[in-house]
Amino acid sequence: MIKYFSDIFTAVSTIAGGMFITLTHLVKAKKGIATLQYPEERWPRPERNIGFNSESYNVIRSRLHVDMDDCIGCLKCERACPVDCIKIETAKAPERGEDIKDVKHVGITTNGTRKAMVVTRFDIDMTECCYCNLCTYPCPEECIFMTGGPNGKKHPIDYEFSEPDRSDLIYRFAKPGTKEGMENILNEKSKVEA
Amino acid sequence: MTVDFIFDGLNQLFPAVAGNDFFLIIAMLLPVAALLGFITIYGFGVIYSEIKVSSFIQDKTGPMGQGPGLHAGKWGLLQPVADGIKLFIKEDIIPASADKPLFILAPFLIFIGALTAFIAVPFGEKIIIVDMNIGIFYIIGVGSLAVIALILAGWSSNNKWALFGGMRSAAQIISYEIPAGISLVVVIMLASSLNMQEIIAYQEGGLFNWIIFDNPFMPIVFVIFFISALAETNRTPFDLPESESELVAGFVTEYSGTRYAIFFLSEYANMFVISAVAATAFLGGWQSPFENFLNTPAWSVFWMISKTFFLIFVMIWVRWTVPRLRVDQLMHLCWKVFIPIGLFNVFAVAIWIVVIG
Repeated sequence: MIKYFSDIFTAVSTIAGGMFITLTHLVKAKKGIATLQYPEERWPRPERNIGFNSESYNVIRSRLHVDMDDCIGCLKCERACPVDCIKIETAKAPERGEDIKDVKHVGITTNGTRKAMVVTRFDIDMTECCYCNLCTYPCPEECIFMTGGPNGKKHPIDYEFSEPDRSDLIYRFAKPGTKEGMENILNEKSKVEA
Repeated sequence: MTVDFIFDGLNQLFPAVAGNDFFLIIAMLLPVAALLGFITIYGFGVIYSEIKVSSFIQDKTGPMGQGPGLHAGKWGLLQPVADGIKLFIKEDIIPASADKPLFILAPFLIFIGALTAFIAVPFGEKIIIVDMNIGIFYIIGVGSLAVIALILAGWSSNNKWALFGGMRSAAQIISYEIPAGISLVVVIMLASSLNMQEIIAYQEGGLFNWIIFDNPFMPIVFVIFFISALAETNRTPFDLPESESELVAGFVTEYSGTRYAIFFLSEYANMFVISAVAATAFLGGWQSPFENFLNTPAWSVFWMISKTFFLIFVMIWVRWTVPRLRVDQLMHLCWKVFIPIGLFNVFAVAIWIVVIG
């Protein structure tokens, strides 16, 4: 008989305790919510020690970027890449150091180098990239770099690579020119090869 | 009450054809149409609050959207609408081996049980569709109609999970009707009437005249009634008839689309009826908690609905706190705990009425 009533008491008190806990969660709902409303809110960037004062640097190597106005088509990055994710095709420029408007080619780099080549294709397959950063060191014009890497300016990074199609992860940096301009350059190339 | 009111109004409006049967039919159908609209809107509201309360209790946000038409609206307000549209445009599948007429009948039967109980729920001194002398008895009787609908659903599905669910629900509802009935017997003893309005009239004059504070036994009676009512609506922790982890979905396993939606809606409608009965019998019905404070007919609807919604909130709150009972624990709770204590309460309150009240 005593056990009967003590059981009832235990049931009532434990249920009341549980109800109180859920009520506190309900009342504190605004503060305690663990869900992140992803596209609107993002996790803060993880902090990492890179060996020196990193205040002016981003510590995440986010993705490769090429400043095409400075690229001279030397292919050094392509050779440096351990996974061969960079594909570059070039053609000889008709006049060294001259702009070609049809293919948006800029003749002179910011370092003052006069370009001898027109880069017709510069693809980086970010699905293959291993973020080793080895391609950025040999570049004589410092035009290939990791955004957010030690070479980059500090800026909010979108570190989520998400695309509806896998082929969208192949970044095509070469500037799309007009059809005629492209054909002209390719004709030059085939003439030289012949 | 409302039926008579509309009937008289129509007769006065068209004195030439006063008193014909057509007016009576209109007077009966209008409140029912209003009721259906009310149940639908209330269903959207309560489903939304169930989603949100459950999410907040579990430290989630629930459905969140940034604007209408996208991600179910601002704060997911359109989520119940989206759910409803989804259910209503789904294919209506009737299993080949099902008992077709019974399979089709079951959801309507359960909805009739939920809908007809509404007509005796008082929302104000004059705002009650039919003011019956036996109102509380009628609601209990009509509420039991759910049992046969659930057994029909379980049997006609021709599926062992569904049959298990149907049998469990029958055992559960029949068992828990006894403590719920005994608890209401205590209320009827105090108010000495089965009429809903007279039970409310007995509780006139503020918070401390409510039946729940009438004597020291009444809080226990209220708790027994509320838990038994919870069991009758098949909600967690008494959702054994449709326990997902054991029986797939119990008696609704084979139902899809609109028929499933009707089962879903009747569960929420039943919640409202049960909460309304609890509010009427124990919490003063449509009366304000303070004497002469906002006690006008318009406010009476507000008080009734807010009391009912508070109890519905408690039901949702319990659902996301307490885990499901085992079958033997369910029967133990009913037959060995609620019924003895309920009978003791009847006895004790009877002595209280004779000696003190």
